[in-house]
Amino acid sequence: MDFLGDAFLQNIMAGFALVANVESIAALGIGVTVGVIAGAIPGMSATMAVALTLPFTFSMTPITGILLLLGVYKGGIFGGSIPAILIKTPGTPASSATVLDGHPMAEKGQAGKALGMALWSSCTADLISNLSLIMFAGWLASFALSFGPPEFFTLILFSLTIIAGVSGGSLLLGFLSAAMGLLLATIGLDLVYGTGRFSFNDTNLMGGLNFIAVLIGLFAIPEILTMVWDPSPKTEKRTKLGDNWVTFKEYKSCFKSIIRGSFIGVFLGSIPGIGAAPSAFLSYSEARRKSPNKENFGKGEIEGVAASEAGNNGVAGATLIPLLALGIPGDVITAIIIGAFMIHGLQPGPLMFVTNGDIIYGLFMGMIISSIFLFFVGSVAIRAFRFVADIPRSLLFPTILILCVYGCYAVNNSIFDVGVMFVIGWIGFVMLRYNIPAAPFLIAFILGPLLEDNFRQAMLMSGSSASILVRGPITWFFWTLTIITVVAIIRAGIKNSKTTAIE
Amino acid sequence: MKIKMIGAFCALLSVTVSAPLMAAEYPDRPVNMVIPYGAGGATDISARTIAEPLTKAVGQPLVMVNKKGAGGAIGSVAVQNAKKDGYTLLFARVGSHSVSPAMKATLPYTLEDFRFVGVYEINPVACAVKADSDIKSMADLVSKVKAKPGTVSYSSSGVGSMLHLAGAMVLKEFGIEKPLEAAVHIPKKGGGAAAAAVLKGTATFICTNSSALASFVKNKQLRPIMVTTAKPIVGFDAPTSVDLGKPNLQQLVGWTGVAGPKGMSDEIAKKWGGYLKEATSNEEFVKKMEARGSIIRLMEPQESQDFINGQYKIFRALVDELGMRIKG
Repeated sequence: MDFLGDAFLQNIMAGFALVANVESIAALGIGVTVGVIAGAIPGMSATMAVALTLPFTFSMTPITGILLLLGVYKGGIFGGSIPAILIKTPGTPASSATVLDGHPMAEKGQAGKALGMALWSSCTADLISNLSLIMFAGWLASFALSFGPPEFFTLILFSLTIIAGVSGGSLLLGFLSAAMGLLLATIGLDLVYGTGRFSFNDTNLMGGLNFIAVLIGLFAIPEILTMVWDPSPKTEKRTKLGDNWVTFKEYKSCFKSIIRGSFIGVFLGSIPGIGAAPSAFLSYSEARRKSPNKENFGKGEIEGVAASEAGNNGVAGATLIPLLALGIPGDVITAIIIGAFMIHGLQPGPLMFVTNGDIIYGLFMGMIISSIFLFFVGSVAIRAFRFVADIPRSLLFPTILILCVYGCYAVNNSIFDVGVMFVIGWIGFVMLRYNIPAAPFLIAFILGPLLEDNFRQAMLMSGSSASILVRGPITWFFWTLTIITVVAIIRAGIKNSKTTAIE
Repeated sequence: MKIKMIGAFCALLSVTVSAPLMAAEYPDRPVNMVIPYGAGGATDISARTIAEPLTKAVGQPLVMVNKKGAGGAIGSVAVQNAKKDGYTLLFARVGSHSVSPAMKATLPYTLEDFRFVGVYEINPVACAVKADSDIKSMADLVSKVKAKPGTVSYSSSGVGSMLHLAGAMVLKEFGIEKPLEAAVHIPKKGGGAAAAAVLKGTATFICTNSSALASFVKNKQLRPIMVTTAKPIVGFDAPTSVDLGKPNLQQLVGWTGVAGPKGMSDEIAKKWGGYLKEATSNEEFVKKMEARGSIIRLMEPQESQDFINGQYKIFRALVDELGMRIKG
């Protein structure tokens, strides 16, 4: 694939011609708006929004339809950060990491600042992700192809070290939380043998615990239970937006983390099968590791918000790399989008760059424009959601509860999921009261199954020989990273215990 | 979007509220259509594509409900236990209604628990290897499995999926006595990941719906080595199972159909036969489905039942012979 030269310019012009019309621009605008609103409703994930939009695209021209879906996708990923910051409930799984610092900032009366930073950071990451897609698609795609189960296993193993970064004060409590997450993630059918695990022959349990139900249960329900437990707030939590808007200086100070997060997003997004949530957490923990204000992370550090949002939006453009260059959908959302391609008789893959180059470059152009739309729609949305912050808690919390129940039900139309949400909610409540951090639970719940599946697939490939886990440079790279990180964590732990001993 | 969801919710609510009132003429209110797989999958797209002409035929809104999980079992159970009044129906699929019942001993339902009103879509199955593989034909594949048992692997979308059974069935038909030992089954989560595994070299071959492979074949990333239908498939430059002298493999096809719980009245089943007939004669619908590599062929209720039972029996016999039944 030759991206430079005359053909490149011609394609860009042809693509521009495809996008520069009212329908395409309107589709993008509508898509981003729908996405932001859907993302902002807890339980209404970006995936659902894209799935529900799909039938509307059948009658559109290919480029308009796909741009509409992409708009919804991008809007949804950003929209999720609004409730994450304002009401401690990630609107989509991707914005779970944003809760960690976004909500404490809101409690300090800096909701406007946090939302503003989330928006700026999202748009920057989105732009970087789109540019990477345009410039490095071929290169990143061949890289993604070299990611088999052993490489995946080592990458996930390294990602598990994030747990140390989001454990807060006590590493031990972090591990406890992660262990619970791992345990609950094993519920369901065994990958290789198909036998039930902790399913007690119950059909609902055979499907495993619904991720959205666990997510809402873990973050939103404990807050509501706390409110019920003690309705008279001793300290009135201030979540006013105020005049406190993000400044350019703050953006500049977080710029490094945003860029780092964007590239983590691009990198993880281009590998099919990981998704935005791990990327956000990895970006967050890297930002924390490099920051001089390490102690402030988790207590309302603006850089934490910037890093998380850069991490998840960085994925958005990059997931199209395996889709367009290889025809492989990277996650559920791109699997839906690939359906939209096929309905129109387009078959994504290397040949599409030749046969339908104009459409591909039209998409590229459209995506760049979508970053701009995201900025404006996001700004309006933040101002609109300002009112959420002014609602008294006695009204707001019951409303959140209703939204959670409805959202949780809507994911899979299952009352069982609502039950799961409440059970996890009580676990989360106990964890909150004993200062057990929730983030390690969530990370383990996401990464645990990936780790296990890839390990077992690798073992199947090699006939149970462990040597496959060090089969190439990628695995060596991640093993080295993992070892360095673990050593650093242990050393920091020893240092910590020494200082406490002296005190 | 939100309004739409609320609308769907209200519709659901009204269904439960008004259920006891016996209606004059079926259907007099919206019908719930359960899709037992997630959004964006083959079943989901097929269901949502037929929903449009089908709504016109039924004359009442169809509420599409995704209930995914456990290989289609959760949604299927929901319909199995639903009222038999014809207001809750299922989009049944090869995986949930012939492979899973054949393979899973713990499955909470059997084929007897459903009344099929029509199979409307057939998905041909194709087997493929990576484009740069030294395997050029089924004969190459079989001789490689025989020469070095345990080195050839095939990917699937999970245990108990059609892909899982297909890999074993194809090898068995081609004379590999114990395909489960001779070739390694690598389960992935989902059909997309299964095809990608072959592309990455994680697995040697895959047998799945031709629609899932079409773009890889067109882009010359994968090489088809066989299609299981009697007729060749457009775009797949590979011999058919009949060409290769294995006509039994014609049974290995994917399908989508509509089913209600057992005991649903003859009258309703007959009506649905008519609705499906009207929907599948919609040109727009046929065009969309064929663009995805499906064959639109409507079977009458009885024919559907016989077709599914026949496929189940063949699968079940194979599963028992190879000891593939999942008991735990």
